[in-house]
Amino acid sequence: MLSPDELRVVGFTLRIAALGTVLLLVPGIMVALALARYQGPGKSIMETMLSLPLVLPPTAVGLLLLSVLARQGLLGRWLDAAGIQVVFTWKAVLLATMVMAFPLFVRSARTGFEEVDPRLVGLARTLGCGPLAAFFRVTLPLAWRGILAGTMLAFARALGEFGATIMIAGNIPGRTQTLALAIFQASQVGHDDRAQVLAAVTVLLAFATLWTAELFTRRRARRAAT
Amino acid sequence: MIELALELPLARFPLRVDARLGDGITAIMGPSGSGKTSLLEAVAGLRPRTRGRIVVNSTTLLATADRVRVRPEHRRVGYVPQDAGLFPHLTALGNVRFGARGATDRVRAAIETLELTPLLARHPATLSGGEKQRVALARSLASDPRLLLLDEPLAALDVGLRERIVPYLLRIHDEWRVPVLYVTHSVGEALSLAEAVLLLREGTVDAHGPALDLLCRPAISRAAESGIENLLTAQVVAHDVEGGTTRVVLDDGTALSIPLLSARGPGDAVSLAIRAEDILVAVEPVHGLSARNVVEVRIAAIDRIGRDALLRCGRAAGGRQWLVRITPSAVASLGLVSGRAVWLAIKSHSFRVL
Repeated sequence: MLSPDELRVVGFTLRIAALGTVLLLVPGIMVALALARYQGPGKSIMETMLSLPLVLPPTAVGLLLLSVLARQGLLGRWLDAAGIQVVFTWKAVLLATMVMAFPLFVRSARTGFEEVDPRLVGLARTLGCGPLAAFFRVTLPLAWRGILAGTMLAFARALGEFGATIMIAGNIPGRTQTLALAIFQASQVGHDDRAQVLAAVTVLLAFATLWTAELFTRRRARRAAT
Repeated sequence: MIELALELPLARFPLRVDARLGDGITAIMGPSGSGKTSLLEAVAGLRPRTRGRIVVNSTTLLATADRVRVRPEHRRVGYVPQDAGLFPHLTALGNVRFGARGATDRVRAAIETLELTPLLARHPATLSGGEKQRVALARSLASDPRLLLLDEPLAALDVGLRERIVPYLLRIHDEWRVPVLYVTHSVGEALSLAEAVLLLREGTVDAHGPALDLLCRPAISRAAESGIENLLTAQVVAHDVEGGTTRVVLDDGTALSIPLLSARGPGDAVSLAIRAEDILVAVEPVHGLSARNVVEVRIAAIDRIGRDALLRCGRAAGGRQWLVRITPSAVASLGLVSGRAVWLAIKSHSFRVL
């Protein structure tokens, strides 16, 4: 069905999506928890800024990233001096998918944290838990469903990222080409049958991801209810 | 001894409490929004803006003047909120174990005191209100608290369940010897359980003293229209199956007969409740009455509560006191005054086994 090159593209896409999702877990949980608990001024501004990548054209986000990471850019200058090349490498693909998946994860995880009654955390403190222990023994297990849903959404989003990736990583077969980019390329050069096969693969992967999450949260919910 | 001298800004007024509380059960009463729950949270260490001093049995938990502020996890203050606050993702056993730091003997003892064995595998969502309260109480006890804070533990329960929790609270007090601060709206509960009452009004201490002495205050007595109970701990002596009664004896030697209780054997402890209005008063020794119990006592005091009179009677000064509620006209026509000897007549069936 799939040629060795196409298989390599599928493997690369899965690896990037998985790595990106794992890497955004810790910062994502921290931001989500902060947004759920923080009630001071500037909260709505922060939330809006965080949601912005969800509605902007991904190409615009990619352009912004490119300007920051390019050799003369804010971060690019510093990275270039350190001998690190990001733009048009797999690191750029990773970065693009992470930036696009981050807000999705945070939104879902934040909802999970908001459902945790802060009084339960206080009670855990009176029962001898320090703030960190209370987080791991009460907050995290209770927010688990939101975090899991966010993880799966982020992974699915990372699998399909296109716009930001093509802006900062290009579409280099064998180096930065993901499934979404390969579909685009196959279609552009008239290989409609290959494009359709690759599209079917992405549908399958995304479906499997979301379905797993659904099954898992259902089972947990049922167990908690009995 | 618990020393409180604390201040905490609240939305409408500051909470200012300056009081020394005993090692028994202290009831905290007062109108809704008078700062009762805030006081408990301040003592537990959950209100970071609290200033002042909190000392529990010579352990300082807060002394802002000396920059001492013990974190809640190091205070060893057990807190049971009104809704029990169980962790929904853990079983009853997981909840009880939560703060025990592996002290399995304490966990076992707490489970035993609150009779939780049949519930251990269940999740909080499947427990009734009374069961949740018992699990929460056990969870606090297992964490080895030096002080227990109970926020209306009985308020969410209907009357039948309430009665089933009371003996557990008495056991906690008697067997675990933990001082308890107990928020309640019920005068009956305060009278039956607490040695002292702290009355809060808009964040300040309105009154503080022995539970019985505060009864005459209008703020309390208005709420005391019903529900004053005598709670007794007795020991089973023998059963009279033919007569349908069980003989029990109180710790002061008073022998009583109660409805047949064949489930308990001789020597077993039993908690009894009798309502203050279910006791008859006679000024002479009574004979030829169907009531199985006649106890000779002396009136220690007569107080006014609401429209009624409340007699405090005891066999000896400082001994256990019976609370008897009668109408003021009965007081007048019998010529009751404090110091007078009277006979209390109680039907066996007026006793409820808790």
